[in-house]
Amino acid sequence: MADRPNQTPPEPSFDLGGRRALVVVPAFNEGEAIARVIRDLKRHAPWADTVVVNDGSDDATADEARAAGVHVLDLPVNLGIGGAVQTGYRYAWDNGYDLAFQFDGDGQHRASLLAEVARPVLEDQADLVVGSRFLQPRGMTAYGLRLLGIKVLAATISSVLGQRITDPTSGFRVAGRRAIRLFATEYPQDYPEPESLVLLVRQGLRVREVAATMRRRRGGQTSIGLWAGFHYMSKVILAVLMDMVKAPVRLEGEVAS
Amino acid sequence: MMWTQRIVLLVLGLGLLGLTLNLIRRRRLREEYAVLWVATSIVTLLFVLFSGALFDVATWLNLDHVVLMLLIVFVFLVAIMLHYSVVISRHSEREKGLSQEVALLKDELDKLRDEVRQPPPPPVEPKPKPPSLRT
Repeated sequence: MADRPNQTPPEPSFDLGGRRALVVVPAFNEGEAIARVIRDLKRHAPWADTVVVNDGSDDATADEARAAGVHVLDLPVNLGIGGAVQTGYRYAWDNGYDLAFQFDGDGQHRASLLAEVARPVLEDQADLVVGSRFLQPRGMTAYGLRLLGIKVLAATISSVLGQRITDPTSGFRVAGRRAIRLFATEYPQDYPEPESLVLLVRQGLRVREVAATMRRRRGGQTSIGLWAGFHYMSKVILAVLMDMVKAPVRLEGEVAS
Repeated sequence: MMWTQRIVLLVLGLGLLGLTLNLIRRRRLREEYAVLWVATSIVTLLFVLFSGALFDVATWLNLDHVVLMLLIVFVFLVAIMLHYSVVISRHSEREKGLSQEVALLKDELDKLRDEVRQPPPPPVEPKPKPPSLRT
């Protein structure tokens, strides 16, 4: 299933200004979708390296990804999305990348939007940019109770951070050097997308949202069911409130470069 | 305190202390985690030795001395369980870090292996250095 070419055209000549970009693709049992995701990335973002973090899948995710020609970080046990994504940030920091994208392995994110999302980081307007489904009405892919849940969560996090956040659960993001460094050291485990926003803002880093449409997911399973949504939402809010009382993270030494 | 109560407490306290020390001796229990168990058995033995003080505190708190004893034991058990939660959290954090390290090292190893297997590059061109190699 090819990407419909109605979005922004491929930007193979995207100018990074000499900086190096990495796309981190966390994948748990995405054997059916992963090859297409990598093809999509190679077509729309040939200016970035890709690394798949295989979170202890029991299917052929790792083999499919290697066959598609990218590096695979094979976690020996299933760590969950937080631990998997952090592995990617550690890789990005160790290898001196300036930009680290987070891009789901199930095919719901659009590689054609990577350049657009990265712009505020490249212009040093933000340390982390979140691709939000809700900044423009067209981008919405959530309905009913789930939409309500996300709205309540967004309102809670916005008021806690004193900054408007419309899509706190979006896993489509890009981190600059400072955020990569922080995430390599400390990354939330339980509800990483919303919790990491709190972590960033509390550490004095800048978060920005950019409108990003997403696809309906095909292949793979959503990590949140409809009825589990309410439970999820209340636990996230609790986790966020607990994040607010945690002592700030101290990073060793100084930022390199 | 009745002598039967004293004997029961004495046996329980000494039993717990002996069991804990024996586990440490046989290296089945690390001292770090044994401290609270040793403390619990010592407190139990203190009840036997200073039952007068126990009665005084019980009177002051307007509690039966048995209830006071249970309360103290309860506090110790809660402390032990809290300690376990801390230990478990620490261990899962370490397990996460180690798993990530394994994944990163495995990738590094694959890269090096590929490099070794490749025929050596022509001597004119400088050998491309993989970005992951830190000096």
